[in-house]
Amino acid sequence: MKSETSNNLRQLAERLVQYGKKQGADEIEVTLYDGVEFNVDVRLGRIENLVEAGSKFCAIRVFKDKRAASASSSDLSISTLQSLIKNAIRRALLTQPDEYAGLPAPALFKVDYNSLKIYDPEVSRMKLQEKIKLALTTEKIALQDKRITNSFGASFLTNELRTVLANSNGFTGEYLQTYCSLSLGLQAGQGDNLVEDYWFSSKRHLKDLASPEEVARKAVERTVRHLNPRKIKTQNVPVIFEPTMTSWLLAFLFSCVSGMAVYQKTTFLADRLGEKIGNDLIYVVDDGLLPARLGSRPFDSEGVPTQRTVVIEKGVLKNYLCNTYAARKLNLVSTGNGDGNSVVPNNFYLEPGTLKPEEIIKSTKKGLWLTKTIGHGLNPVTGDISRGAFGLWIEDGEIAYPVSEITIAGNLGEILKNIEMVGSDLEFESPICGPTIKVAEMTVAGI
Amino acid sequence: MVKKTKTVFPCDNHFQLRTSDLKKALELALSRGGDFADIFLEYRISRSILMEEDIIKETSESLTLGLGIRVIKKDRTGYAYTNDLSEEKIKIAAEAAASIASSTRAEVSQLQLRQIKPKKEAAVVKSLATSSELKKKLELVQKAYHSALKFDPAIKKVQVAYGESTQQVWIVNSEGLSIKDTRPMVKLVVQAIAEKNGRRESGFYGGGGRVGLEFFSSQLTPEEIGQEAAKEACLLLEAVEPPAGEYPVILAPGHSGVLVHEAVGHLLEADFIRKKTSIFWNKLEKQVGSEQITIYDDPTIPGFRGSYNVDDEGTLPEKTLLIEKGKVKGFLQDRLSARLMKKPVNGHGRRQDFTNWPIPRMSNTYIDRGEYSAEEIIRSVRKGFYVSRLSGGQVEDSGKFTFSVTLGFMIEDGRLTRPVKQATLIGTNLDILQKVEMVGSDLEFGLQTGTCSKEGQDVPVSDGCPTMKISRMTIGGVR
Repeated sequence: MKSETSNNLRQLAERLVQYGKKQGADEIEVTLYDGVEFNVDVRLGRIENLVEAGSKFCAIRVFKDKRAASASSSDLSISTLQSLIKNAIRRALLTQPDEYAGLPAPALFKVDYNSLKIYDPEVSRMKLQEKIKLALTTEKIALQDKRITNSFGASFLTNELRTVLANSNGFTGEYLQTYCSLSLGLQAGQGDNLVEDYWFSSKRHLKDLASPEEVARKAVERTVRHLNPRKIKTQNVPVIFEPTMTSWLLAFLFSCVSGMAVYQKTTFLADRLGEKIGNDLIYVVDDGLLPARLGSRPFDSEGVPTQRTVVIEKGVLKNYLCNTYAARKLNLVSTGNGDGNSVVPNNFYLEPGTLKPEEIIKSTKKGLWLTKTIGHGLNPVTGDISRGAFGLWIEDGEIAYPVSEITIAGNLGEILKNIEMVGSDLEFESPICGPTIKVAEMTVAGI
Repeated sequence: MVKKTKTVFPCDNHFQLRTSDLKKALELALSRGGDFADIFLEYRISRSILMEEDIIKETSESLTLGLGIRVIKKDRTGYAYTNDLSEEKIKIAAEAAASIASSTRAEVSQLQLRQIKPKKEAAVVKSLATSSELKKKLELVQKAYHSALKFDPAIKKVQVAYGESTQQVWIVNSEGLSIKDTRPMVKLVVQAIAEKNGRRESGFYGGGGRVGLEFFSSQLTPEEIGQEAAKEACLLLEAVEPPAGEYPVILAPGHSGVLVHEAVGHLLEADFIRKKTSIFWNKLEKQVGSEQITIYDDPTIPGFRGSYNVDDEGTLPEKTLLIEKGKVKGFLQDRLSARLMKKPVNGHGRRQDFTNWPIPRMSNTYIDRGEYSAEEIIRSVRKGFYVSRLSGGQVEDSGKFTFSVTLGFMIEDGRLTRPVKQATLIGTNLDILQKVEMVGSDLEFGLQTGTCSKEGQDVPVSDGCPTMKISRMTIGGVR
C-alpha cells in the first residue's frame, strides 16, 4: 500500500519535471508532500477536539533565462499542476534575470536515510484509544495538584509525512518522517491573579516521548512557580536563561546567521566571518544528521544533502547557514539549510557545558532567572532585544520569589560576549535548542 | 449592481460538487449521533511579487483547494479535512469527523439545504487584483521600490512585497444553511533600511485590504508607501535608546490599535470566556476600565482587511459592542461558544483555511472616539513617552501583555522631543484599562497589513484607536 503511494508520487514528480522542460523551463524542481495528521485535545477530563486528516501538497520552482518563479497547490490534479507550471514559466519571463538564481549542482554524496532514524512505524500503528488516553492521563495527573485551578487542556498529536523531490538536474529523492508530541497547558491562582504555563515533549519516536507523569509534573511546576509575583525596581543584573529561553535566544541568533539575512545585510553579523563574536564558552552547531532528532533530514528542500556545520567555535563566527541562492550570493557553499526560497535550521544548538543548573543559580548573588518572554522586540539589523518577561528573582544563590511585569533589554552581540556560564542540561525537544546559560548583565526594567 | 459584481468576481464552481453531494456528506457526518455538522469548502488563489536588490526577484502563485468537515457533539468537535474532493475521500473525512459522537447508528432526518445570499459589502473592488495583468502589479512594486530608495541617500536597501488573493468559500450545515462568499485581498508593503555612521535601522509601511488595484491610485499610492517606510528608517537613525521605568504614556492614533487588540480583544473571545481562562469570564456588565473607553469589533466595515460578508461558519457578521464606557458588554462569539453559553452568535467564527475549524476571532477592532483633541492630550504630560508606531504585541489569558514600539518620542513639557527607537511596553490589561485618562476625538485605523495569530491560525485583521493617554505604564528600555 505504502510503496505504491510512494511510487505514484515519484512518477507524478518526474512527469511534472519532464513537462516543465518541454514547456521551455531551463530548470525545474517539483516537491510533493503526502501527510497524515492526527490530533486530540482534551480538557477537564473530556475530549474537546479530534482531528484526523490526510492531505497532499505540491511545490514547484522554475527557472528560465536565470529568472525565477514558483508555485504551489493543494489541488493535485495533473491539469492544474501543468497549468501552474506553464504560468510560472510565463511569469518568470516578466521578471528580471538574476545570475545567482537556479538549482544546485548535483550533489556528489548522499546521506544514508536509514542512519537518521526519523521514521517510527509505531506512530501510525497506535490505536485511537491509546492516543486519547495519553492526553487524558497527562491532564488528570496535573489536575490532582490542588494549586492548579484551571486547564487549557492536554494534546497529543502525531504526524507522518512523505516528501518526494525531483528536479531537472537528475535528482530524485524521498524520505518518510514521523513526529509525535504530548503537551499540557495549565492555569493557577484565583480571581484577577492568574498565572499560566505549559510543558511538552516532542520526538520522532514514540518510545522517546516523555511520560504523562513527567509532562504533567513539569507543567505543574512551571505554572505554580509564577504564583504571587512581585514587581521589582529597574536594574542591571545577571540573567539566567532556562533551556526554553536559551532556545528562544538561539532562534534569534539563527535569524542573524541565516545566509539570506547576511547577503541582504539585515543582520548585525553580516561580513563578520572569522571574527570573535562571543566568548570562549560558545560553540554553536547546525547538524541535520543527528539520529532521531526533530531537525534531521537527509536532504534539504533543494535536494542538497544535510551536514554538520559549525557556526560558532570558541566564540569565533565560522560559518553562515545557506541555501543555494544565499551561498552563491556570498560565494560560499550551501550548508543544506534550504527551505523553498528561505533558510531553516536543521538541529541548531548550543553545545552544553559542564555545570548543573542548580550550580548556576547558586553562583548568583542577585539576578533574574528568565522563564518566559512575550512580545516581539527582536531586531536582527542591530541585534537589539526588548521583550516582556517573567521570571524568578534570585537572592544569595537561591530562588526568592517570582517577578512579573518586567521587560528585559539587551543586545545579542553583547550577550554572546557576556555568557559566563553554560549548563549541561541540553535536551533536543525542538529543532533549535540549548542548555541553561548565565549572562553577566542585562537591563531588567520594572517600576 | 448584481451584474457588475458578477463580472468582477468569476463564479466558477471550482469544487465541481453538487449540493446533493454535500447533503450526503452531512448526513454521513451525523450518522453516529452528532448534534451538528458543517462543511467548509475553500478555493483560494494567492499570488505574490518580491522586489529587492533592484530586480523583481520572484513571483509566486499558490492554489488552495479543499474542504473541512466538522461534527459537534455537545462541547466536543470532530474534524477532518481533505484536499482531494473525490466522493471516496469526502466519505472518509465525513466518517472520521463523525466518530466524535459514539452511537453506532443514529437516525438522521432528511436535510433540505437553503441557499442564503449574503450582502456583498465587505469588499470594495473595481479592478479585481487576481484578474488583472501581472504587468500592472509589477509597476506598483517598482514605483514603491524606487520612491523608497530615492527618498534619502541614507537608504541603502529596500524590499517590496506585493500579495493578492481571492478566496471563495462555500459553507453548508446540518441546519440547512448553504452560503457562498468571495473575498478578495491585496497588500503592498515596503521595508527600507537606512545606514549612517555605522548605524543601521529599518522602517516599514504598507497598505491594502479587501479592495481592488484602484486602491493604489485613489487611496494610497505606492510612492507614498515607499516614502513612509524610508522616512521611518531615517528617523530611527536619529533615535535614542528608550528610557526604562514607569512613565505616563500617550498612544498615537491608528497604529496603537494593536493595544486594544491584544490587551482587550483576545480576552473577550468567547472560547476563553466559557473555559473561564480569561480574566474577563465573570465580568459581563461589570466596570473594568475607565469611562472613557468604548470598544467595538466590526467585521462589516467596507474594504477593511478584517471584514467579511459571512464568517467561516456561515453566520452573517454584526458590529459588536464589547466595552461601553468601561463596562463589559459583549463577547466575540462563534457557533460552538454561543451555543454552550446560550448567547446569540455575532459572526466571529473564523479560520485560517480548510485544514482548521473555526474559533472566535476579532475582525476590525477599535476604541471609539472620545472628546479630547490630540494637542490637549499631549500638552497634559510634563515628562512621558509618546508611542508613534506599535508593531505588535502578545497577551496571556491572565491579562499580562507586552507591545513592541518601533518608534516613539519623548514628551517633555507637553511637547514631543527626541525620537526613541525599539522599546517594549508591558502591563496587565485591567490595570491599563483603568489608567486610561483621556481619549481623543481623532479615531484612525492602523495599516491594513495586519495578521493575527491564535492557536496556530493566522487571519487578516485591522485595528484602530484615537490618541489616548495612559497615566502610567512600564517601559522596558536600557536607560
